[in-house]
Amino acid sequence: MATARPGWSRRAQYGLFFSFLAVIAGIIVGLFLLVLSLVAPASFNGVRGAALDVTGPIASALHEVTATATGLVSGASDYWDAVSQNGELKRDNRAMLRRMVEARAIIQENRQLKAALQLREQTHDAIAAGRIVGSSFNSPRRFAILSAGTSDGVRVGMPVRSADGLVGRIIDAGSLASRVLLVSDRANIVPARLLRGGIAVIAQGRGDGTIDVRPLEVGRNPFRRGDIIITSGTGGLYPPLVPIARIVKLDDDGAVAIPLADPANTSFAIVEPVFEPAAADQSPAQEATP
Amino acid sequence: MVRAALASTRRIGKGPYAFATFVPATTVVMASLLAALPIVATSGWYPDFGFLVFISWRLLRSDPWPAWWAAALGFVNDLFTGYPLGFSIALWSATMLALDLIDRRTMWRDYWIEWVLAAVLLAIDNWLQWRLAAIVGARVPITMMVPPLAISIFVFPVSAWLVSRIDAWRLGR
Repeated sequence: MATARPGWSRRAQYGLFFSFLAVIAGIIVGLFLLVLSLVAPASFNGVRGAALDVTGPIASALHEVTATATGLVSGASDYWDAVSQNGELKRDNRAMLRRMVEARAIIQENRQLKAALQLREQTHDAIAAGRIVGSSFNSPRRFAILSAGTSDGVRVGMPVRSADGLVGRIIDAGSLASRVLLVSDRANIVPARLLRGGIAVIAQGRGDGTIDVRPLEVGRNPFRRGDIIITSGTGGLYPPLVPIARIVKLDDDGAVAIPLADPANTSFAIVEPVFEPAAADQSPAQEATP
Repeated sequence: MVRAALASTRRIGKGPYAFATFVPATTVVMASLLAALPIVATSGWYPDFGFLVFISWRLLRSDPWPAWWAAALGFVNDLFTGYPLGFSIALWSATMLALDLIDRRTMWRDYWIEWVLAAVLLAIDNWLQWRLAAIVGARVPITMMVPPLAISIFVFPVSAWLVSRIDAWRLGR
């Protein structure tokens, strides 16, 4: 369909005409599917999950290779300055032991207080553990691929965390792999609070690997550099007391923070059940999934 | 002079491969599959590889694949990259149509015109992605799209060169 008129051949002219029609049909079908996936994000869950099952295992296999390579390099550098590292670790260890005793005492006190209040504690076991094996690297959205899927019990909407902090939540689930909406995505809004003082804040991703933090009450800027933000459990989607981010920069009415769980260095991510199952049906963030 | 011109490196009896028709579409699918690489990036600065290779082929030749294949290739790209389904289908079909109309208008083609066309198409691609992200609640400042656009514009010559090599190989030249 390169030239305006392919000659006098009727057959060639019809061929050109129908190929134009086919392209226009392609545009219309594409726009229709696009509108459908914007207004009803759940309509393509099956086919998207199947695609994840194709790419997920590839990414996992390649991830093993790169992890081994980087492990060899960092392992070699560990031997390089073993003496100074040893001294550092011993110092850290002593400090940790002191902290641990304090923490044990606090846990005991907490248990007694909870018993006094007769608070019903819901235990949440991890549903599945997987590796972060890939990410969206060419769009303004921030997704990651997790190597655990519906065959492990993962469902759309479940929160994902690592030992360091909150990673995000599941938005697409295949049977072998799933897609995670990272906390640094613009559409991911997490109800949170300051660890120091417990002021309620809202954490929203900025799309470039950092997080915007705003206080719920307008007024004095409560943030300081180095502050830790933790989840508050409001909304019922994310469990409370999971660390999210550390503040690195203040701006006029809030602050910019860096996630504590760096998806690039997270070895294992844990999928947890939705904190309040009733919240899963009516979470406002659910609409934000593509 | 004459001897040098006659001493062609082409071997006799070497023509296009039997699978030459499917090579362009296959390379586009493989470029889309780069999304399966274990790259965990916190900023989306990598180019949209599928679209890059797609326009590289279409700017090199007017007939790398039947026009309607664009929709199918876009569908594959949407699935692998996690774009909202339908985005690449519509954009890639519209690109085929737009480039056919441009082919009628342009008097001549040289490398600069192709680079400018590619830059415009990549800018449209980036702008639409930004617009769609805003619709689903992820409104980021438009300045955030400038680095990935600049990177993909400067990666286009590499992609165009690779595609021209693959084209020569599949035609047995």
